[in-house]
Amino acid sequence: MTEPRSPGMSSIQTGPVHTDSTPPAVEMDPVEYTLRKRLPRKLPKRRNDVYVNMKTDFRAQLARCQKLLEGGGHREICVHGLGLAINRAINIALQLQASSQGALQLAANTSTVELVDDLEPEDPDEAGEPMTRTRNNSAIHIKVFYPDPQGP
Amino acid sequence: MSAAKVKMRGKKLRNQPASVQYPSSPVNAESSPKNGGDTPVTGVHEGPSDVHPFTARPKNPHQRGGWVRGHHKDGGGYAKEMSKYLTAGPFARARAAEVRTMLKAVTKTTGSCHVFGALPKHMRRRAMSHNTKRLPRRLRDAANRMREKSLQAGSKKKKEQAKSKSRKARRRHGNLLLEFNRRQRKNVWLETHIWHAKRFHMVKKWGYCLGDRPTYKCYRPSYRAMTNHCLLQDLSYYCCIELQGEEDELLAALSQLCSKEAGPTFAAAVCLSGRRQGSVVVYRAGLYPSQPLGPVTFLWRPRTQGSTHRQLWIWAHPNMKQDLLPELQAVCQCCEAVVPPVVTPAEVVPTIEPEEKPEKTAEAMSMTGTKRKRTLKDAGGPPAKKILGDGTRSPTTPVTWKSSSNGIVINDLTMEIVRYRLIGPQSNSVLAETVEAATDCDEMSKSQPSSLWWPEHCKNETKMNLHRQQADVFHILKGLYSTGELPSGTVLGLTVDDPRLTLPTKKVKALPCVKQAQEVDEEKRRELMLRGVPEHCCQSYLWEQSVRDNVTENKISEQDLNRMRSEVLVPGSRLSPTPLQGRVPVLLVHQPGKQQGHEMSSWGAGWDLLLPKGWGMAFWVPLVYRGVCIGGLNMSLKHSQNKGAPHFPHDYPDCPAGVRFQEEQETQLLDKFKRRPPAKRTNYIKHGCLAPFCCPWQQLAEEWELISRHGGEERKGDQTQTAAEADALMTSHGDIPVTKPPSPVTVLRNRKSLRLLSGWCRPTTSKGQRRCRIGEVPPLDHSALTSFLTVHGMSLVWVRLTILSKGRPELHAMVSAPTAEDLKLLKKESASGPQEPTHKDHFKSRIRRRKKAPKKAATSPLCRDEAKGKESALPSASEPNPATSEDAKSSSQSPSHLVIGLWPDPLPSVTAHCSRVTLGWVTQGDFSLSAGCGEALGFVSVAGLLNTLLNQPMEHRGMLLLRDPTSLHYHFAKINIEV
Repeated sequence: MTEPRSPGMSSIQTGPVHTDSTPPAVEMDPVEYTLRKRLPRKLPKRRNDVYVNMKTDFRAQLARCQKLLEGGGHREICVHGLGLAINRAINIALQLQASSQGALQLAANTSTVELVDDLEPEDPDEAGEPMTRTRNNSAIHIKVFYPDPQGP
Repeated sequence: MSAAKVKMRGKKLRNQPASVQYPSSPVNAESSPKNGGDTPVTGVHEGPSDVHPFTARPKNPHQRGGWVRGHHKDGGGYAKEMSKYLTAGPFARARAAEVRTMLKAVTKTTGSCHVFGALPKHMRRRAMSHNTKRLPRRLRDAANRMREKSLQAGSKKKKEQAKSKSRKARRRHGNLLLEFNRRQRKNVWLETHIWHAKRFHMVKKWGYCLGDRPTYKCYRPSYRAMTNHCLLQDLSYYCCIELQGEEDELLAALSQLCSKEAGPTFAAAVCLSGRRQGSVVVYRAGLYPSQPLGPVTFLWRPRTQGSTHRQLWIWAHPNMKQDLLPELQAVCQCCEAVVPPVVTPAEVVPTIEPEEKPEKTAEAMSMTGTKRKRTLKDAGGPPAKKILGDGTRSPTTPVTWKSSSNGIVINDLTMEIVRYRLIGPQSNSVLAETVEAATDCDEMSKSQPSSLWWPEHCKNETKMNLHRQQADVFHILKGLYSTGELPSGTVLGLTVDDPRLTLPTKKVKALPCVKQAQEVDEEKRRELMLRGVPEHCCQSYLWEQSVRDNVTENKISEQDLNRMRSEVLVPGSRLSPTPLQGRVPVLLVHQPGKQQGHEMSSWGAGWDLLLPKGWGMAFWVPLVYRGVCIGGLNMSLKHSQNKGAPHFPHDYPDCPAGVRFQEEQETQLLDKFKRRPPAKRTNYIKHGCLAPFCCPWQQLAEEWELISRHGGEERKGDQTQTAAEADALMTSHGDIPVTKPPSPVTVLRNRKSLRLLSGWCRPTTSKGQRRCRIGEVPPLDHSALTSFLTVHGMSLVWVRLTILSKGRPELHAMVSAPTAEDLKLLKKESASGPQEPTHKDHFKSRIRRRKKAPKKAATSPLCRDEAKGKESALPSASEPNPATSEDAKSSSQSPSHLVIGLWPDPLPSVTAHCSRVTLGWVTQGDFSLSAGCGEALGFVSVAGLLNTLLNQPMEHRGMLLLRDPTSLHYHFAKINIEV
């Protein structure tokens, strides 16, 4: 569910795109690639994992977390955010804590996630191999939990 | 007398003797003219009145006058003066003639000839014709006779069925097979047919019997399966065509069929190496960009060392095979059909099976000693089981074509390979649970020669090495959580054990196993994700015909397998050692999910499982036992709809198969429309919908081309084009025949142009909230537009429309361009779209008049002329609208085809018919479960779209209107062109 940015495709193009008035005459640049981002790796999800994205409405995501903690009977939930959604994940966790009047505690962890991009040549016959490259992106995993009653 | 009365009377008198009218003319003077012959005996109801005069005295006419019902034109017997005398002879003769005819009339029944018609109403009983004992005895004989007669007439048609065997006999295996073979003579069955037929609504399409949708409710579960788990489909009906030959020759031949502009071709480097499956839209040789045939997927066999001989499989939809195959033959210059007995695998089936079966049954017989009857029967030659492969094809039909000039061989492998499609992120784990890499065979069986392929295979060390590597890759595959993580189109060859051996006792949902995944070497997993499967691992023995046949022939029958299972010491444990026959070469082909667009990328990715024929059910049931959902044709449509991809043949209006499909769909929809009572039908004319059943793409493109050409000329004076202007243009130019022959409409598939268009549409996220980042796009202006339109003026473009408010678009909904006022509406919150004013149906009255006309014609020819005169006079008088009057003229040429609520055939201008200019139509529309709003996929005219975009302000660019054929309400929708 983690959606760092709108994943998808954009073009890295060396020159301005020609209108196709003279298509066969223009020789294509061999270094023209289309970038296509693959989805981040997905791990099996538990019930109390919440992956935060930028597409769903913020209130809906917050309500989902609250439901899990209150109605769902979970003592703890994990809020994950990747890339752009880190901000929102933190926001959700803090909102949860604030609305619980201090009953909830947070424990945040950060990590690095490896993402894969496919570079597809525009002219596959010449350029041969489609390339892949990896890049890293930051992620945050916030555990939101009720502290044990026998604790201090 | 009205026509109905005349008709009634005619019916009544049909069976009456002709001489009932007693001559009453004064010419017959000698036979006492007024002697009771004065009132003509017109029917049975006058019978009673006639009985009297017979017995009564001659002055009866007075009395009779009182008896006669109603007024008679000739004055009846009232006022006529009485004759003074009468002669007995002629009078008696006349009465005798009357009596005779009367008696004749009484005995003859009119109307229905049922016996109980003779009974008064209160004596009739229910089901009298069925049970003659309910009739009074005097009528029974006649009724029995009647009944026998009708039975005989009925039984003539189904005499065979009456003599059919008992159910037990019919269900006996051999007879059942015969029956099955008979039933699939016309429409071929897939291997999973019987499984599907029990659970699905079956449809007969493209020469196959296919499951359309399950009988149980599972629309949403199926969608959820595609998003979260796994959906299984049987795609064996796809046709595989094999090409063999030198690589250069093949590439040279195939390069004529497609173009680089539309994306990777057959020669794409990754596909050529055999590591990826490719897909391409095929055109008629050298005719790109016109005359496309349809999309195909293709798979090259990896190179064998030191050989340039290559093998290529092209998978095509059965609907386009009839177009594709001749084209391939022409391109490869393969015209020599090879005589089938040499090569054809199709005839292998019937010849081998009959020999094999008796052996098997004989074995079973000797063991159990039952079913003696069947042995005798089977010895006579059991029916060949045609369920395998395309058994309905006659064995002499050529399936192989050879070329004498370049050595290319084309092989039609239809129904030779089973193809299952698993869709969804968990198809990985389903496959991993179902399929296990083949186990090595033990030393003993290795040492002795065997007719089976696997033991022979095991002797070769290099082959075993390859197998081990493939098994390793498969093991790593198990560690992946989702199918979307792999490079799209990856191919993996594998040899697997018979999955029936590891069939779980209960259906369990296959889930990814975290533990197993962690065992997998991280480094190798990364390698697989980035690079895909190494080239040599893509090799599979499924490519070899001999191995395929060997595997198919030596499959352990279900019966034998069950027997072996029952003999296992611990019930339910795995058979060991694995029987030698149970090794199957398979190919796993990764299917890329959603590749276009910015959202939901790699949704619906999955695996295709290719199997040798005959093994269909052996893999199907184990897959089903892993908790997958099963989908039919309907689901594959929904799958491509959610992917935003055009679905063949629905969304290929420029391909011959697509055209055929559209015609079919039109007749289907029209039939459905006509099944409703006329008063309950939608009046599409009033809704301003010209083509509710079939979209006139050609006309649309032509009209837009004309508009844009004229618009281009006028724009020099810097005018903005509005609907009214287009209207004016169309009315002035619409009926002028285009001078040059119009080029056929095509769908724009040129990638660069598509990208350009997509940029101009200002792509946003699905509901239009956020802009997506795109590369730099040259601004849309007049010069760019004209240069674009000179190339693609007659093209359509595939678009996705997302409705911004509520609403669910339907099939053939209209895509229209909003006016400037409409866009102002958009700024207001909670504003719904504009309304189309109701159109007037001028045809309705015309149809009514036409219906009345024939009746008038029946009564008087003068009347008809009058009606005609009125008709021809009316349209010009009553219709001020020039567009409709023009149609009226055209419609009067084809009067008999008018249907209320539908436009007659020569359509008026499709673009300018409504208050908003029409740009195109929707071919697939539904509520999209993935986007959470109504989504439509369809085509719009490129010229129309660009002209509209150009006139829209930047912030509203790409905003269009959508209107259902049955509604007058326009919805705002955002257009997206995905590349």
